[in-house]
Amino acid sequence: MTTAVAGTAVRAPGAARARRRSAVIGWAFLAPLLVLNLVVVLGPSIATVYYSLTDWSGLGPAEFIGLENYTKAFTDPDVHQALLHNVIWFVLFGSVPMAMGLLGAYLLSQVRRFQVLFRALYFIPYVVASVVNAAVWKMLLSPTSGIGHQFGIDHSWLGDTATSLFSVNFVVDWHFWGFLAVIFLAAMQGIDPQLYDAASVDGAGRWQQFLSVTLPGIRPTMIFVILMTVIWTLKAFDYIFIMTQGGPAGSSEVVSTLMYKQAFNEYSAGYAAALGLSMTAITAVILAVYQYLRKKGWEDE
Amino acid sequence: MTARSFSRRRFLTGASLSAAAIAAPGVLTACGGSDDSGAGSGSGKVDLWLDIQGDANQKYFNEQVAALFEKANPSVDLNTTYYKGDDLRRLVQTALQARSGPDVVRGPSATQTLAWSKAHALADLTPYADKYGWKDKLSAWAMNAFTTDDKLFALPMRVDTMMLYFNKTLFASKGWKQPTNRDELEALAAEAHGQGITAFGSSNVDWKAAGEWLMTVFWNHYSGPDALHQALSGDIKFTDPVFVEAVELVQSYFDKGWLAGGVDKYFAVPSQEIGANFGKGKVAMIPQGGWFMSQVGQYFGAKAKNDNEWDWMPIPALRNEVKYPLFELGIGGSLGINEASKNKDAAATFMNWYYGDRGAALQRMADVPATYNIPIDFADADIPKKIDPRSARVLTSLNKAVSTGDYGYVTWTWWPPKTDVYVYEGLEQVLTKKIKAADYCKELDRLFTEEKADGTIPALPAQGPAK
Repeated sequence: MTTAVAGTAVRAPGAARARRRSAVIGWAFLAPLLVLNLVVVLGPSIATVYYSLTDWSGLGPAEFIGLENYTKAFTDPDVHQALLHNVIWFVLFGSVPMAMGLLGAYLLSQVRRFQVLFRALYFIPYVVASVVNAAVWKMLLSPTSGIGHQFGIDHSWLGDTATSLFSVNFVVDWHFWGFLAVIFLAAMQGIDPQLYDAASVDGAGRWQQFLSVTLPGIRPTMIFVILMTVIWTLKAFDYIFIMTQGGPAGSSEVVSTLMYKQAFNEYSAGYAAALGLSMTAITAVILAVYQYLRKKGWEDE
Repeated sequence: MTARSFSRRRFLTGASLSAAAIAAPGVLTACGGSDDSGAGSGSGKVDLWLDIQGDANQKYFNEQVAALFEKANPSVDLNTTYYKGDDLRRLVQTALQARSGPDVVRGPSATQTLAWSKAHALADLTPYADKYGWKDKLSAWAMNAFTTDDKLFALPMRVDTMMLYFNKTLFASKGWKQPTNRDELEALAAEAHGQGITAFGSSNVDWKAAGEWLMTVFWNHYSGPDALHQALSGDIKFTDPVFVEAVELVQSYFDKGWLAGGVDKYFAVPSQEIGANFGKGKVAMIPQGGWFMSQVGQYFGAKAKNDNEWDWMPIPALRNEVKYPLFELGIGGSLGINEASKNKDAAATFMNWYYGDRGAALQRMADVPATYNIPIDFADADIPKKIDPRSARVLTSLNKAVSTGDYGYVTWTWWPPKTDVYVYEGLEQVLTKKIKAADYCKELDRLFTEEKADGTIPALPAQGPAK
């Protein structure tokens, strides 16, 4: 012990210098990105906090009004409706593509021939730009010329307040599930094949193998995907904006489209900033919970 | 303040700057030196962002506007960038806030441009208007809409009105006459509907604000321009039954399946599909703005693989007390100068060229239907002979409406900005039966009263014959 301390004491000046040098080099490499982050992330973030406390049209001077925008958001029925739609969106977006992705990946993992071809086919909707997908589906869902119409169903999927949100969500699920399938397949391929052999020897069938070997084996990937799904749900915007613009009559409105309308149509950019920050706070809470559970070893159980 | 102004003036008139100016006269010219009025002759690069869509239309602008302007003004380089309509507005608004963006600002309708002006994002054009005599060149009613507190904040870009386009071949084959009043219109709509033909094509799928086109039609041709003038002047309320009934009438046309084939289809069928069905004769009429004239042709004739023809008629009077024909007047879009522009004089040079040459402006109106209909005063005889007779009829009809006073008011020009947004957002609530027509008008009136009190409302043209 004494020797070690003495030895450390002898080496200390050189080692400390080396540590300092490597730290300086590390910071030097980080510096450009940090500066960039300060300019494009931190600066606008601080500005957003300030504007959320003001009555600001989005142009010209802003008038400080304290927490008025936040209290308004709490009582605004449009915000409540949009938040509810975000929750519905999360339930659907978090379950349908996940289930389809898992099933697709598992089936694909059993296939040896043409696996690459199927993977590519699954992936195509995800690669196509959302604006293209949305425009095509808008036509496909038309009540007078779309797919349904060809089969004698003239329902107006996007024009009916009862189905507009679900219809847009369907298109997003269609766009997304192939991506999840490929991610899950990659995770499944990392599972030790001996585990399947052992399960088989123990008399486990395909379903039991899936439940007892596959799912635990891809647990970290699944948890990461769930986390990302929550974040993507809160950010949901492009498909809704292109296909329904939140309509009809707000029936597919989510917080992000409402925010856009407030900022650019209603000239209430201060209020839009408050809505945006509220959503950021919700995302931060979710991330914090995830990090906490991760530290507790939840992913690896 | 006085001391600072004095010292700055002394500095500017100082010997050193004079010497520099004598030595390098071009330097000051390039910076857009101003005369005493604040409006100088500019040169250099001028950025212009536009929402002209389609290769042919952009080619026309590049060749017949940008190139001709640069030929006439070799010292100014007009740099045009094209965007989609919705994108353009968002981009310009964001750029204006950041004190950047184009020199010439293609703004939205008068009512929305007014909001930009109130936020001091647009330059005061009054000195340029005085210098170039714009007030003598452009129609007074349109210029007044862009003047607030005696300051001109933009120039009106395009005269808008609403018309009823119809499939002429279908009308001929069915023996239908052009309706002029509500009874005739409803009889025709019922007959078309009975034959499986959509009486009035309409959709808000590609343009969310399309609902205000409908309200413009029904408020003008049912409630009437007198009632509208009184409401917009604050003399009566938008809760007056004459406005509520107009909203109920729109709703009833949807409920009967006459408009768009029903509310659900209005929210779901893309406008391209409606246009194609219009060309085929599956849609009889389309209530649309003058701008539609530059698009409707694609749905008819050899290109659309049919032998049908289109035409337009004035919107029928929907109440006996309302005149026929009546044309609602408004301005679609504006051209202003960015307050943050470093080349305001050159931007004004372009605007003066664009608005100042009456002959060239009339030729553009003749070449491209509706797109270039700037509000200038002209006699019917001035219209170039090489013009589509249907386009010519729009110009002569509007001239007559202005001279006789038989005109109404479009929502996107004469309503204040937030009220204008509620016109179409709130209408969706009515059509989906979330609120009643009376509640819609009540909220509309609340917003209008609030914005009118703030002064965020364009100057309304006086009733009667106007210039």
